[in-house]
Amino acid sequence: MEAKPSTANLVDKIVVPGDVVLDLSSMTNQTIKLGGGLRQECDSVSVIKAGKLRFSKPNKYWVESSQKRYVPCVEDTVLGIVVDCKADNFFVDIRGPTIAFLPVLAFEGGTRRNIPKFEIGSLLYVRVVKANPGMNPELSCTDASGKAAEFGLLKDGYMFETSTGLSRMLLSSPTCPVLEELGKQLSFEIAVGLNGRVWVNAESPSTVVLVSNAIMNSESLSAVQQKIMVDKLLQRIK
Amino acid sequence: MDTRLANTWRLTVNEKRFIETALSSGIRIDGRNPFEYRKLSIKFGREDGSSEVQLGQTHIMGFVTGQLVQPYRDRPNEGTLSIFTEFSPMADPSFETGRPSESAVELGRIVDRGLRESRAVDTESLCVLAGKLVWAIRIDLHILDNGGNLVDAANIAALASLLTFRRPECSLGGEDDLEVIVHPPEEREPLPLIIHHLPIAVTFGFFSSESLLVIDPTHHEEAVMVGKMTATLNANGDVCAIQKPGGEGVLQSVIMQCLRLASRMASDITKKIKDAVETYNTERALRKIKRHPTSITLDGSVNLKEKLNEPSGHNVVNELSRKHLEKPRLASAENASSPGNNGEGESKSSNFGRSSRRDGATSNFVGGAASWDPYSRGVDSDFLKASLASRGTLTPKKKQQDPTGERKPNESKPEESPGDVIPTTSAMDVSETGVHKGGEKTLKDAVKPKHKRKKKAFSSTADAS
Repeated sequence: MEAKPSTANLVDKIVVPGDVVLDLSSMTNQTIKLGGGLRQECDSVSVIKAGKLRFSKPNKYWVESSQKRYVPCVEDTVLGIVVDCKADNFFVDIRGPTIAFLPVLAFEGGTRRNIPKFEIGSLLYVRVVKANPGMNPELSCTDASGKAAEFGLLKDGYMFETSTGLSRMLLSSPTCPVLEELGKQLSFEIAVGLNGRVWVNAESPSTVVLVSNAIMNSESLSAVQQKIMVDKLLQRIK
Repeated sequence: MDTRLANTWRLTVNEKRFIETALSSGIRIDGRNPFEYRKLSIKFGREDGSSEVQLGQTHIMGFVTGQLVQPYRDRPNEGTLSIFTEFSPMADPSFETGRPSESAVELGRIVDRGLRESRAVDTESLCVLAGKLVWAIRIDLHILDNGGNLVDAANIAALASLLTFRRPECSLGGEDDLEVIVHPPEEREPLPLIIHHLPIAVTFGFFSSESLLVIDPTHHEEAVMVGKMTATLNANGDVCAIQKPGGEGVLQSVIMQCLRLASRMASDITKKIKDAVETYNTERALRKIKRHPTSITLDGSVNLKEKLNEPSGHNVVNELSRKHLEKPRLASAENASSPGNNGEGESKSSNFGRSSRRDGATSNFVGGAASWDPYSRGVDSDFLKASLASRGTLTPKKKQQDPTGERKPNESKPEESPGDVIPTTSAMDVSETGVHKGGEKTLKDAVKPKHKRKKKAFSSTADAS
């Protein structure tokens, strides 16, 4: 396969496995970071996962696709469900191919004396620390510097599952249109995990139900359509 | 083991609490109100007797097949009905291949009880040779996606496939009339089953708080609820079966309330099923007609080389006309024109398109078997022209009437009419079978069997010619 002359052609376009994205022989003395979905073969970088090719300055490339399955990646923030408690690990289900471990001490100010007690089925907002293929991923309830930073147990509210693409859209900046429109009229709290899990909490159950259904229906809509949908929903409530 | 642990679906504590709190304010997570069903869609496959039902996210396919077998020793005159379920692992991570789980057996049993104990399917009409050969009807239900409330959806799938299933026609022949000849569909139009009524299953979910009750629980609600009950009723208000497998105790008043709600739901769902089946039958008839486009000349000469498929056109007519008139109008549109022309039944109604039948609204009807004469000589061209003139819209499509085709609308009617009509229908069918032997089409076949109800003697004007 011949290498594409310029990568700008393929950025933000749909690529399939086998497409050659970068020709390294033409770029010298540059450091390029490859994210998920790309692989280096000698002098070229080719795609191994179907999706859209993305580029972020200064030098990061990756392939983005929306799936219901989640593949754990380092530094992802996800929502996990506690499955079991062992002596030095909590077993947490993060919707990946294997169960992840959350060390008992991975909390801010965590010592052997104040190990938190989570009941089975609790929902946690955690960060992925290690994610090697074939091994169980490791999680942490602190950020890189050791502070709590909003990680930990999520109380009340309602959780639902969507595809990974939708959760990425919800986390994008500027704020995703659905959330913006909903936020103008309703007040609610939301936690989005990159593994496709979303947690919503609000004062009244009807708000929660409204927000959840609005988000679930907004996956395939464009920005304008999302605004229209939310407007209609809110009008019906009034 | 690790993958299984990873793939299990889990309910969070948050969801459980939220579903119950929301329900106490009368809100369900998908926005329905507690006594509302999800969107129901019923589709059919190309083959008779295959249906696909979607109730929200729950997706079920049903297939009905028939086989000739020996009857049970203690019931030599009745056919058999059996239900098989298949819980495919793609429907839910907790379903496994191999031995059916408890819920799988329970589902099969509920659907079976609803159909068998209430005698919804007429098994006596499935008898071909008493004591030797009967039809064994087998219903296969495949669960494709578990979105909650499998029982209701499976029941609807079973009913929809039973209503559209057609079994081959059998006749007795050979020496001594003891040999059973099964006619292939090309030779004789296959017959529908006789279904007296439609037992609809309605499932209720109970929650830890006493007054909380929902209809048609979703998968999440099923994980949270503490008790459930399935009531099988039909549109007439008869309770066919009730199933409450363990769980929390329920007050008697709540049960009565559930039954009342269920009867309301049952009539809605019955209507939906019947509409879907009607559409399917119309399409089916259309399909058969399209295959054999033949032209007809208006001066009354008729092309006798009809194929069996044509008659189904009459089915359509009958189905359609049934909607407009109370009595099914078989046959010739000629009948529609004037009450006196009884015998016109045998004329070539093939001249008249479906549309004409619809407005035709035959007020008179061709009498019972006794009064038609299969040996009539043919169309009276003058009469034909007169009727054509009296009609507005005519599509000169050619349709040959085949009496066997007529039986279809007749037999499907029993589901709407009370039981007493059915025995007569079956009796009529038997007598008619006697009349039509073999596949050769002659003018005889043009004669439509009279609708059973109007058997009361019509003036035996008989011949149109």
